[in-house]
Amino acid sequence: MADVRLNTIRKSFNKTAVLHGISLDIRSGEFISLLGASGCGKTTLLRIVAGLEGVTEGKVEIDGRDVTQLPPEKRDIAMMFQSYALLPHLSVAENVRFPLRMRGIGNREEQAEKVRAALETVQLGHLSERRPRQLSGGQQQRVALARAIVSSPKVLLLDEPLSNLDARLREDMQVELIEIHQRLGLTTIFVTHDQEEALSLSDRVVLLNAGRVEQEGAPGEIYNRPATSFASNFIGSSNLLPAEIVDGATGPMARFADGQELALAASEAARGKVTLALRQEDLSLAADGAGPKVKIRTRVFLGARNRYVMTLAGQTLRALTPNDILLDDGAEVSLGIDPARIRVIRD
Amino acid sequence: MVKAVPLWLRIAAGIFVALTALILLAPLVVVVGVSVSESQFIAFPPNGLSLRWYQQVLSSNAYLTAGWISLQIAVLVTVLATLIGGGAAIAIHRRQLPFSDFIATVFLSPLVLPTIIYAIGMLMFWSATFGPVNIATLAIAHTIIALPYVVRTTLAVLAESNPYLEEAARTMGANRLQRLWFVVVPQCVPGLAAGAFFAFNISFDEAVLSLFLRGPTLTTLPVQIYGQLEFSPDPSVAAVSTIMIGLTIALIVIIDRMLGLTKFASS
Repeated sequence: MADVRLNTIRKSFNKTAVLHGISLDIRSGEFISLLGASGCGKTTLLRIVAGLEGVTEGKVEIDGRDVTQLPPEKRDIAMMFQSYALLPHLSVAENVRFPLRMRGIGNREEQAEKVRAALETVQLGHLSERRPRQLSGGQQQRVALARAIVSSPKVLLLDEPLSNLDARLREDMQVELIEIHQRLGLTTIFVTHDQEEALSLSDRVVLLNAGRVEQEGAPGEIYNRPATSFASNFIGSSNLLPAEIVDGATGPMARFADGQELALAASEAARGKVTLALRQEDLSLAADGAGPKVKIRTRVFLGARNRYVMTLAGQTLRALTPNDILLDDGAEVSLGIDPARIRVIRD
Repeated sequence: MVKAVPLWLRIAAGIFVALTALILLAPLVVVVGVSVSESQFIAFPPNGLSLRWYQQVLSSNAYLTAGWISLQIAVLVTVLATLIGGGAAIAIHRRQLPFSDFIATVFLSPLVLPTIIYAIGMLMFWSATFGPVNIATLAIAHTIIALPYVVRTTLAVLAESNPYLEEAARTMGANRLQRLWFVVVPQCVPGLAAGAFFAFNISFDEAVLSLFLRGPTLTTLPVQIYGQLEFSPDPSVAAVSTIMIGLTIALIVIIDRMLGLTKFASS
């Protein structure tokens, strides 16, 4: 357990900058997610913490010690790879023992005891003599997790470890990761492109965009108060609509290009041209109402919910509704949203 | 969809395959047949049935000495070619050396160089530099022509290996030597074993180099067989050949049981 401090990390590959001065303080025992689309630099940042990539500029500290120039084998870390990277010629138990053996931690009996405990933690004690290729993807995943926690590393690095699993297993593993983190309290850095994963697992989410920190904060804060249009669009996949805020009879109104208006919260201070971020799940549709009229283009049945694709003032709009709301394609319906849920982004 | 293969082409292909198999196997059948003959002369089909030629081979000093020399050289070549070829393959695969493509070409070049030219060159070079040829000369020469097989089989398994394993090992605290020994070498084992098998076989039945680089006390089994055939042909030649066939088949079965050789036959 240790804190990790990244000080203005810059990284370029062949003169192409991929990280533009990222600074992060990660508290001891914190579970932090690096969230972003592919190519945003999140995996590069993780590999820099691991020591698998050098930095072009900046400093990496683990537990108060400058490790910037230290190779990965000398940093007290553990990393879980997207491909699991289990050694195919070793049994499950030997795979889990590998870090202890390489680092010379404990004698044979102590190592065997640690291996047994780690495999129990991921509920794989009964498979310790199998070879990795005899295991399912989910089981291999657990072996990789056991191997990552067995040596009680200072920092646990997870590189999209759940992305190769099917939906059901992924949910199970998420719960398992949360429980293991609560039990062991390892400082954990988790890289993902999946916002739900990031929001559900971590103490803090760091949203990366094109090599910069777009926003960081607790999951609830990131979700409810996206600071930029990128954050709004990425998290919760909001609809972004250009509008102009004017003073109406009852308070501030957002006026769209076609002249229709949407009521905003009375406290809204912005005026003039802005972008509205409307979350899909916050929108309601009614056959008649006070809100602006939108035209239904398509309905996509998602099981528990329906997604409607609509047009408002020439812009595409998406809404998630309960699956018993049934509206015909081409119908004109009115849009409703709690004014408090509307995010106004000044560009 | 692939269009159905016309009947005439299927028949032609069948005949072609059958002929190939026949031409491959017929000589073996003849050799085995002759070896159990009672006759003084090499004749097929055999006259009578006896194991006297096997007895003759196993009590012949010339055959046993030649066989022992061949075995020693083959074992030496297997060890040398596997160590050098395996190391070369790992270095080539990592592409960390300068001129790695050039090095790869050099290691594979014995495949295309005519053996007879190499044999003449080796004889002249060795005589001029070190004097008379000995068992080491032949072992070195065989190692050179066996190297490409080890390099290719090892490169084939490395190409299929997971490139993240070494990185993973680094994050688990493995230093350079530990990674080589605990991660890279174990992954190479199937390729090394297949390469070792090829190296043993190439050395054991190699005749051209052995013919040029022979000495009064340095005669390998293939050279002995050739000499016997030339000067006093009798079915003992067939008997010793049958023993060699048997040895080779036994080796193939052992390696295949252990590692699945079929995987490398095509690589």
